[in-house]
Amino acid sequence: MKELIVSDLVTDYGHVRALDGISFVASSGEITTVIGANGAGKSTLLRTISGLEKAKSGTISWGDIEITNLAPEEIVRSGIAHVPEGHAVIPTFSVLENIEMGALFRRRKNSSDVKAAISEVLDLFPRLAERVKQSAGSLSGGERQMLAISRALVSRPKLLLLDEPSLGLAPLVVEQIIQTINHLCRSTGLTVLLVEQNANTALAVADHGVLLALGKVASDQSAAAMRADSALRSAYLGY
Amino acid sequence: MNTFISTLITGTATGAIYALAALGLVIVWRGAGVVNFAQMGQAMFTTYIASNLIASGNSYWLAFVVALISGSLLGMAIDLLIMRPLAHKKSSSSTKTLAATIPVIASLGILAILQALAGVFWAGEERGFPTPVNSFYFKNGTGTLPFSAFNLFVIGVVLTVLLSLSYFFTQTGVGLGMRAAALNPEVARLSGIKVSRMRTLSWAISGAAGSLAGLLITPSTNLSPNSLDLILIVAFTAAVVGGLDSPLGAVIGGLILGIGISLVTTYGSPENVFLAILFLLLAVQLIRPNGILGGKQVRRG
Repeated sequence: MKELIVSDLVTDYGHVRALDGISFVASSGEITTVIGANGAGKSTLLRTISGLEKAKSGTISWGDIEITNLAPEEIVRSGIAHVPEGHAVIPTFSVLENIEMGALFRRRKNSSDVKAAISEVLDLFPRLAERVKQSAGSLSGGERQMLAISRALVSRPKLLLLDEPSLGLAPLVVEQIIQTINHLCRSTGLTVLLVEQNANTALAVADHGVLLALGKVASDQSAAAMRADSALRSAYLGY
Repeated sequence: MNTFISTLITGTATGAIYALAALGLVIVWRGAGVVNFAQMGQAMFTTYIASNLIASGNSYWLAFVVALISGSLLGMAIDLLIMRPLAHKKSSSSTKTLAATIPVIASLGILAILQALAGVFWAGEERGFPTPVNSFYFKNGTGTLPFSAFNLFVIGVVLTVLLSLSYFFTQTGVGLGMRAAALNPEVARLSGIKVSRMRTLSWAISGAAGSLAGLLITPSTNLSPNSLDLILIVAFTAAVVGGLDSPLGAVIGGLILGIGISLVTTYGSPENVFLAILFLLLAVQLIRPNGILGGKQVRRG
């Protein structure tokens, strides 16, 4: 099984050093959560892994291939799907078009599997199945997040990068989305790298936690140990 | 009454050509973020290629197909050789506000180069251009019907192209990918869509659409290195009137301009055509600044 190994990763965001030598491992079939305050570099980390930002130095390897600084459209072909921050869907597209978009690159070689993947995500999110013809712009925030995740899942990723899926959503909806991800990970062996500002929610389902502070890894341990570490919680997470 | 019907049909036929040229502008604007002032220069160039093929004894249809193919190749070449390298420079330039205008200025340069080259190659003399079918009004006993076979040909060809393009963009995977790349390049790339390839494809489709417009309008304008300058102005107005972001708007804008110009020429005087175009442009800008079908936000860059 593949694991994601990030070593000594350095990324600049404009003139700011956003990632300053990050190293960690996201183990296969587990949920690894990356937590930390605003501006700690969480989003930049995901964006560098998926190829949207260029790494200045360091390496990212995925199984036996090195993916550092490949183009995003290559990285998604290697089985890594990124759901960026902010319910990233195309509002003027229908729900179905948004989902189909995620499978465009494999429709020629695998058209029957693409159909299967689309009906699987619609089973996973029945609220989307009722609204396939509607425009994505008419969906609620939670439904848009489900749609953004569906768009990523139809590419049949082995590693899912999720950037703040809870942002701006009601607690009940967050719970539903997180539980769906948890279920996917446990039932299909999907590896998940979950970025969250809401550490409580994330640590509750994660196997492993990586705490970022100002572009460096401040703590890297099991999620259970992190939950139990009250000194760490009060220093970095504020509760 | 016959004059009125004739005016409407001729207007629809020329309007259809403007619509095609406007659609070409919209496709490159949406797909690549560039207002392409070179478009009708490209069309002039490929019409010259067709004209030379016909002059050396080839059939109209061969020349027609070669012109369309060279139109799309020329569009692709502009993107690959000029626009793509410029876009890579753009990101490293510190003058961000200026960056969006660089490809536009480049397109003006391309227009100048194409016109100069046409002058060098083909001496710049004005020449006629044939129609594939009769362009005289149909005879009906002693009188005439108010339209020609060429009018019907133009309307038919443009309608076919518009329907095929609409099918392509809404019903095929590549069309979906092109729209996604235009609307949200980041999400498109994360979905595995090769955005720069989609841009090149936009240039190719737009180049072919412009070439077709050139072939269809040149019988009535004659061919010279500057003969399609006016069409660019009309097509650009049509695109802006329709809302620069909207393909359907470009088609509606083209038809409004075609029929409008035809009415002004028949019932007013030909000198007033430009005044009418400017008036329409101003009126639309005042009442609906984003065009008839344009989105709420004006996109820049």
